[in-house]
Amino acid sequence: MKRRTALLLAAGLVAGLAGCSDDDGDNAAASDGPLTVWIMGDSGANFEQLVEPFTADTGIDVEVVAIPWDGVDQRLTTAVASGDGPDVLQIGLSKLRTFADAGALLPLDDAIADRPALDPANFAEGVAGDATAVGGQLVSVPWISDTRVLFYRSDILAENGIDGPPATWDDLRADAATLAGRGDGQYGYYIPQWDSPLPVVMTWDQGGDIVGEDGAIDFDTPEFAAAVDLYTGLYADGSVPTNADFDQTQGFISGVTPMLISGPYLAKAIADAAPELDGAWSVTTVPAAESGTSLFAGSNLGVWHDTANEDAALDLLEFLSAPQTQLSWYEINGELPTVTAALEDEALAADPLVQVYVEQLADAKVLPTVPNWDGGVGADLLTALNEIVLNGADRDATLADLYAKTSSVSID
Amino acid sequence: MGRGLTPYLFVTPAMLLLVTFGVLPILVAAVVSLTDMDISGLANRDNVGFIGLDNYQRLFDDPDFRDALLTTGFFVVLGVPSIVVLSLGVALLLDRGDGRFVRALRAFYFVPAVTGIVAISLVWGYLYNTQFGLFNYLLSLVGVEPVQWLSDPALAKFSVALVAIWRGTGLNLIIFLAALQGIPRVYLEAAALDGAGAWRTIRSITLPLLRFAIFFVTVTTMIAWLQFFDEPFVLTDGGPLGATTSASIFLYQEGFRNNQFGYASAGSLVLFVLIAVVTVVQLRLRRPDAQD
Repeated sequence: MKRRTALLLAAGLVAGLAGCSDDDGDNAAASDGPLTVWIMGDSGANFEQLVEPFTADTGIDVEVVAIPWDGVDQRLTTAVASGDGPDVLQIGLSKLRTFADAGALLPLDDAIADRPALDPANFAEGVAGDATAVGGQLVSVPWISDTRVLFYRSDILAENGIDGPPATWDDLRADAATLAGRGDGQYGYYIPQWDSPLPVVMTWDQGGDIVGEDGAIDFDTPEFAAAVDLYTGLYADGSVPTNADFDQTQGFISGVTPMLISGPYLAKAIADAAPELDGAWSVTTVPAAESGTSLFAGSNLGVWHDTANEDAALDLLEFLSAPQTQLSWYEINGELPTVTAALEDEALAADPLVQVYVEQLADAKVLPTVPNWDGGVGADLLTALNEIVLNGADRDATLADLYAKTSSVSID
Repeated sequence: MGRGLTPYLFVTPAMLLLVTFGVLPILVAAVVSLTDMDISGLANRDNVGFIGLDNYQRLFDDPDFRDALLTTGFFVVLGVPSIVVLSLGVALLLDRGDGRFVRALRAFYFVPAVTGIVAISLVWGYLYNTQFGLFNYLLSLVGVEPVQWLSDPALAKFSVALVAIWRGTGLNLIIFLAALQGIPRVYLEAAALDGAGAWRTIRSITLPLLRFAIFFVTVTTMIAWLQFFDEPFVLTDGGPLGATTSASIFLYQEGFRNNQFGYASAGSLVLFVLIAVVTVVQLRLRRPDAQD
C-alpha cells in the first residue's frame, strides 16, 4: 500500500516536472475575454470606477489588477518569463526603458497614425513622442503627470525674516542656513537620501544635462560639478538632516525641515495629516539658477506585446486619453492629466496648487531613458554623493569613480 | 519485484524532491551563470548568449561584490559566536530551574524565533528611529545626543546584527535545552559525590557532553549567517551606503532589481561553493574528536 503511494507520488512529481518545462506554448488569452489592465499603486478601485462608462459604451469588460509599486519588477519578470501578461498596463516613467527592453510593450507607431486621440501632439511636450520613445519607437502614451515643486512653510519663513520662498538655488541655500540656525535639531531643507532625480534636477537648473552629445551618460561637466557643490554645500552648512530614516511629511508638519522639493502626493499627505496647517504652507516652482527645470515623473500606458485584444486595448487607450476622462481621473484620484486640453481646463486651473504644478510641468523633463535608472545610474549617483556628504569620502576620487562607472551607459 | 530494488523505491520520493528542489536549481544556476541572461533573454531565448566565464571574471573584479563578501564575513564573525555563547548561556541558566516562571521564560525566549520578520522590522525600525525611537528617547533622558542607529554606516552593521542575534537565539536555545535534558543524571550525581562545584560540573561534565549540540548549532548558524538576508533587507535594504549589503543582498539586487540573471547566478554559485567549503572544513575538524 505504502509502496503504491510512493509510486503515485513519484509519478505525480514527474508529471509536474513535465508540466513545468512546457512553457514555450502560446498561452495568450482568447481574444473575446475581458481586457486585463495593470494599474500601479493602490488606485485600482478608483480605476474601475473610471472605466465604467467605457464598458457601458463598448461592451468591453475591463479587469483591473492593482500592482504595488515595489512589486512592479517582480510582476514584470514573472509576466515576461511566463509570457502571460496583461493587455494594457501603467508604466512609471523610470521603468519604461526596462519594460521596453524586455520586449514587453507593443510598438505603437502604426496604431497612433489611425487614432488621432493618441497623437503625441495632444500631450504635454516633456512626456510625449520622442521624449519617451525607446530606441526610436513609440511604446507608450502619456497617462498621468507628476512633477516636483518646492514646498515651504510660509509661517516659519516669515518668523525668521524671510519674505517669500527662495527663487534661486543660492537663495535657497542661504535661507536654509538661516532656518537651520533656529536651534539644535532644526534644519532648513530636506534632501531625501533615496531621491536620485534631485541631483539631476540641480544639474538641469545649472544649465547642464547628464547626457552627453553621443547619448552616453556624462557627469564630468561643470554644470554637474556646480550641482554637487550645491548638494554637498547644503550638508556642509548643516542645513539638512543626516539620518536616513527622517520622515519628510512629519519633518515638514513639525517644522523641523520647513522647505523641501517633492511631488503633489506630499500636498495630499500634509492636508490629510495636518489640516490645521492650512494656509501656513504653500508650493511654488523649483528654484532656478540658469533655468528652473523640474522633473517630469508621471506614468505612461502601454499595450502588452502579444495581447490578443489589440484593438480593444487601443480603444481603451483612446478613451483614457480623452481630456474628459483625464479630468475625471483627477477628480477621483487626484492625479494630474497629460493631455494639454485637460491641463488647460478652467476647473483644474482654479486650484492654486494645481496652477503651480501646471506651470512647473511646462518646464519639466523626464529622466534620461537609460536601462534600469533606479538600480544602475541613479543608485551609483546617490551612493557617490552620499559617500561624500555622510562618510566624508574624498570628493574628486568619488566623482572620478562615478564617471568611470556610468560613462558606458547610454540612452540608445 | 526483487529485494534489491525495494530500498531504492523507498528513497525515491525523497530523492525526487531533493533533485527537483535542490540539485536541479543549482544546475540551472550553473548553466545560467555562463550566459548573459537578462530580462530580454527571459522574453526571448534568442537574446541569451553564451559568454563562458566572463561573469566570474567580472564578479572577482567587482569591488561591490568584494565589499559584500567582507560584510558577510563581518556578520559571521560577529553573529555566530554571539548566538552560540548567548543561547548556550541562557540555556544553562534556564536548565537550573523548573518552576512555572522558568517555563514561562523559555516560551518568552522562543517568541522572537516564531515572530514574522515583517513585524520584527516594524517594531525594531521604530525602536531604532532617530527622531521618534525609544532608544534615542531613553538616551535623551540622560542627556545623550540622538544616535543614528540605522543611518550611520559603521553603527548600522551592529544594529542589524543585534536584531538577527536577538531573533536567532530562541531556536538554538531550544536545541541546547533539549540536549541538556538528554544528559544522564548519573554523571551529574557522580560529579556531585566527587565534590565538584557548579562551575566545575559545567566545564567538565555538561560542556563535553553538549559537544554535538554545540557543533550542530555552530554549523547551522554559520550557514544561516553566510546567507544573511532577512534583517538587512527589511531594516536597511543593504544601506546606508552599502554598509549592510551582505552577499545575499548583493545577489538579490543584481538579480531581481537589475535583472542581471546570469551575473547573479554566478555570484550565487560562488556563495554556494563558499558555504560548502566552510561546512566541509567544519565537519573535518570535528571528525578526530568524535573518535576519542
